[in-house]
Amino acid sequence: MNHWWSSRWFIVPGLMLLVIVGWWLYVGQHDNGLIEGRVVDAAGQPVAGATIRIFDRGFVTHQERGQTESDAQGRFRITDNTSHSVQLEAETAALGRSERLEVRLWFAAQDARLEQPLRFKTKP
Amino acid sequence: MASKGTQASWLGLRHLTLMVIAFLMLVPFYWVIKTAITNENIYAYPPNLLPQNPHLFNFVDVWYLIPFPRYLLNSIIVSAIAVAGNVVFNAMAGYALTRQFAGRNVVLALFLSCMLIPFQATIIPAYLITAKLGLLNTYFGLALPMLSTIICIFVFKAAFEAVPRSLIDAARLDGLSEWRIIMRVLMPLSKPAVATNVILTFIWSWNNFLWPLLITRDPLMQTLPLGLARFLSYMEDTTGALYAFAVMVLAPSILVFLMAQKEFIRGLTSGATKG
Repeated sequence: MNHWWSSRWFIVPGLMLLVIVGWWLYVGQHDNGLIEGRVVDAAGQPVAGATIRIFDRGFVTHQERGQTESDAQGRFRITDNTSHSVQLEAETAALGRSERLEVRLWFAAQDARLEQPLRFKTKP
Repeated sequence: MASKGTQASWLGLRHLTLMVIAFLMLVPFYWVIKTAITNENIYAYPPNLLPQNPHLFNFVDVWYLIPFPRYLLNSIIVSAIAVAGNVVFNAMAGYALTRQFAGRNVVLALFLSCMLIPFQATIIPAYLITAKLGLLNTYFGLALPMLSTIICIFVFKAAFEAVPRSLIDAARLDGLSEWRIIMRVLMPLSKPAVATNVILTFIWSWNNFLWPLLITRDPLMQTLPLGLARFLSYMEDTTGALYAFAVMVLAPSILVFLMAQKEFIRGLTSGATKG
């Protein structure tokens, strides 16, 4: 005898619902808008006091939406990201500007710890 | 009589031909999916047959750059209303056409002749009626022209005619009303017709562009095909995100089709042969 719960019309939507609920729960736990990373110079040494700018992705351009500073170990922490795709850029008076680092996230405001540092091309 | 070897080689040739045709039909789908998971331009020359540096971030961009969840919800609600309306109204109309009544042939001829008139020709009266009913910019207004379709009425008619007359007479003798005969006797025996109605209506409603374009005023009432057009006008390019959007629009209708394809094919062929 065929039960309603063994029908593909129940199993497939049920599985999809489970995946969606699981994803929502995961997103709910990891969408604090934190982005952590490091700033280094061309020799790989940490750069303290660099200004880090964050640019949100629009349809065709990126717009600046905030900034922070790196600490003595060259680490920085952005706490209010709301976007799913941002660019980061570091700047100091002595070293100029770093290349922009593109950060693609799986959902808006996803917490991220960057493996790749923001790197200045010039040495101090 | 052909030898077994000849029969096997004919069969192999037939399968090979079918595989080549299937491959040719699937190439555009492959190309859209390949473009959706890369940042390649669809017109890039020379083209890469395999995706280079594939990723899924284009789908994330689509989700956030436009109100995709809202468009998706709108499309689901409108398609659900259209599917429900089709199953109910077409079953009623299909059952009525299996009965004998004065003017039945005229009604049948009218239905068949109405199939010749394209929707574009009736769109102004349809718009005026929807406006008079106060349904512009509403979900019911979006689903209204799709609530009953003539082809699907004939699918139900063919399915109901295949049910033995004695079964309906027995149900009537047991005291079932006409409505309960449809619900309790005919519908359970016509699952392929229901599946055909569901698939056809879902796909037609899901892909409908012109009608939602006319009757929606609020951008948040737009459905996915309108969102796709809007996205194209913003992006103005032929790279990954646009094709990711196309894949996301296509996916639900492909899923519905795959789930109901067995009944769909049975529903289309039921009534094709008699006896």
